[in-house]
Amino acid sequence: MFNYTFQWKQALARLPQMLDGALVTMQIAILSMAIGILLAVLLTMFRLSGLRLLSAIARTWVEIARNTPALFQIYMAHFGLGSFGLHLSPFASILLGITFNNAGYLTENFRGALKAIPETQTRAARSLGFGQGGAFRYIVLPQMLRIAFLPMTNQMVWAILMTSLGVTVGMNSDLYGVTQDLNALTFRTFELFALAAVIFYLITKVITLGARLIAARLFRY
Amino acid sequence: MFDTALTAADFAFLAKGAGVTILVTLVSVLAGTVLGILFGVFRYQVGPVLAAPLTFVLDIFRSIPLLIQLVLANAFLGTILRLNISGFAVACIILSLYTAAFCAEIVRGGIEAVPATTRRAARSLGMTWGQDMREIVLPLATRVALPSWIGLALGVMKDSALVYIVQVTELLKSTQILITRLQEPLLLLMICGAFYFVISFPLARFGGYLEKRWSND
Amino acid sequence: MKKTGLAVALLAATAAMSAPSLADKLDDIIASGTLRCAVVLDFPPMGMRDESNNPIGFDVDYCNDLAAALGVTAEIVETPFPERIPALMSGRVDVGVASTSDTLERAKTVGMSIPYFAFQMAVTANDASGITSFEGMKGKTVGATAGTFEAIALEKQVNEWGEGTFRPYQTQADVFLALSQGQIDATVSTSTVAQSNVKSGNFPGISVVGNAPFDIDYVALFTNREEYGLINYLNLFVNQQVRTGRYAELYEKWVGGDLPSLTVDNVYR
Repeated sequence: MFNYTFQWKQALARLPQMLDGALVTMQIAILSMAIGILLAVLLTMFRLSGLRLLSAIARTWVEIARNTPALFQIYMAHFGLGSFGLHLSPFASILLGITFNNAGYLTENFRGALKAIPETQTRAARSLGFGQGGAFRYIVLPQMLRIAFLPMTNQMVWAILMTSLGVTVGMNSDLYGVTQDLNALTFRTFELFALAAVIFYLITKVITLGARLIAARLFRY
Repeated sequence: MFDTALTAADFAFLAKGAGVTILVTLVSVLAGTVLGILFGVFRYQVGPVLAAPLTFVLDIFRSIPLLIQLVLANAFLGTILRLNISGFAVACIILSLYTAAFCAEIVRGGIEAVPATTRRAARSLGMTWGQDMREIVLPLATRVALPSWIGLALGVMKDSALVYIVQVTELLKSTQILITRLQEPLLLLMICGAFYFVISFPLARFGGYLEKRWSND
Repeated sequence: MKKTGLAVALLAATAAMSAPSLADKLDDIIASGTLRCAVVLDFPPMGMRDESNNPIGFDVDYCNDLAAALGVTAEIVETPFPERIPALMSGRVDVGVASTSDTLERAKTVGMSIPYFAFQMAVTANDASGITSFEGMKGKTVGATAGTFEAIALEKQVNEWGEGTFRPYQTQADVFLALSQGQIDATVSTSTVAQSNVKSGNFPGISVVGNAPFDIDYVALFTNREEYGLINYLNLFVNQQVRTGRYAELYEKWVGGDLPSLTVDNVYR
């Protein structure tokens, strides 16, 4: 049918290398999510603090993260910071870029989630003797994380997909980087990237299903 | 050393890249939205079981890095099918399908947000399916869906930075070309980032405003 | 996969396109009146851009000469190093005039002409790194342009040394940007690009510190593997460029110095 000979064997022979790359991809995504959630909680506290400087920091962070391309943010983390003499390894650059992006989007998700938590709860907690921090920590935060769980899962999938941008900052050990390196050697572009696509697809499916199971366990009343 | 070597010609070059970014975005968002509405209505109408094949295909576009989608489509259309197709066309096709995949979800969510009782009331008043869709579902679903749709359109604009991989010189690629010649990475990256921000920020704010306003009643 | 393929193909069918042609590629080029060349434009002096961002360089002139010989107009398609061969395979360009090493691995995918240029590999180091030779790179962070001859050789060398790190960047410009920022300590590149970048003054604090003991890097024009008619034409064209003195003229214009020999002793091509 096609005037093209598929060489699947050549691609499949490289599967072990690509699976190693998939592990690095997962590692970046998980780390960037963990740090991103912590930062987003911090930024949310900044927003709620009522201090002008802190909420301005949070607002700027969120708007830049959400209104510029992720590729731009990652390129900036490497070559932009490099202009100031701050040198990050490719791994650190991609991690920083994705974490920055994650934190921005998650803060916005948390803002949406907070709307669903009635103000009266905080007041009730305060009247029971909780401090401002205590009320946030024990009453608001757990509910907020629960309501924002689905958007967090989506962001995790995004984080996985964003790792593919690491090649622009010299990354070659993640799944996309490994695939591109192999492509430079063999030029079986379609076969190699199709295999990478399948791996990416499976990773994202495992994450969404896993998240659903966790949600079912954690959030049943 | 500290004054910039940027010339008017370089700004024109950047503006051309920005034009390509906007053009790719407009084409893809328009085509993707039309497709997305068709897919979304279809999925809602036939139910989850019959729509499963479509759901599966659309899900693929949301589960694979856009960079890989572009590389694969480029290799598939050009290398395997031997079509004489431009990089710009490949970029538009993939970004349209990518948009459609997300848009279908938004549309389905919008339709589902219209209370079934309202729709039954409309039908019992003698409205046809078409009238019900047009007069009842469309205005109500739009209220739910529009803010998300604006977010999607802006997302597509930002993601269009990846079409450099199929030899389309858009804004970020133009910036990199100038960095190569002028070696002023910071300044050029700032200009590039500012451009995306200037387009995206007001629209994102507008989306937020609509969401707030429409959720009050 | 098949479903996506079908959907994509269907969509493509609605987009403007021409039917796949069965004529030979040489005919196609002459009939279309345009020769589309893949050229790498961040690889001075082979390919770069002038003040008005138009492509210039040895490879650009070479493509123009080839188009003139064919009686068609040249179209320069900028391709980053890793995208050169994919651009050809996906029909985006007709010929690669992109300083492409004629490796056996690549020849499995594309058809190579006889060599039209030859590179020496040089080591360029950041002055702060204290590297003064190729061996000095052992244990340091080094980089090169992804998908190039020197990147593949250098990565192998770093693995052999067993210490240090290798980083591939997407473009030659990113490599030198990273080098001048101190993100990497040294790079191996063609001596022409190294000299040209150091001389440009765009990258302060870097110097060429010596040659890399890699084989001479012969580079070839390339097109689709099965297009013998075109490959024959390219071979003759390269031969004519040398014979008529145009090769020497272009070399003097863009590089200068001793003209590299394009033949290998004691063997036929």
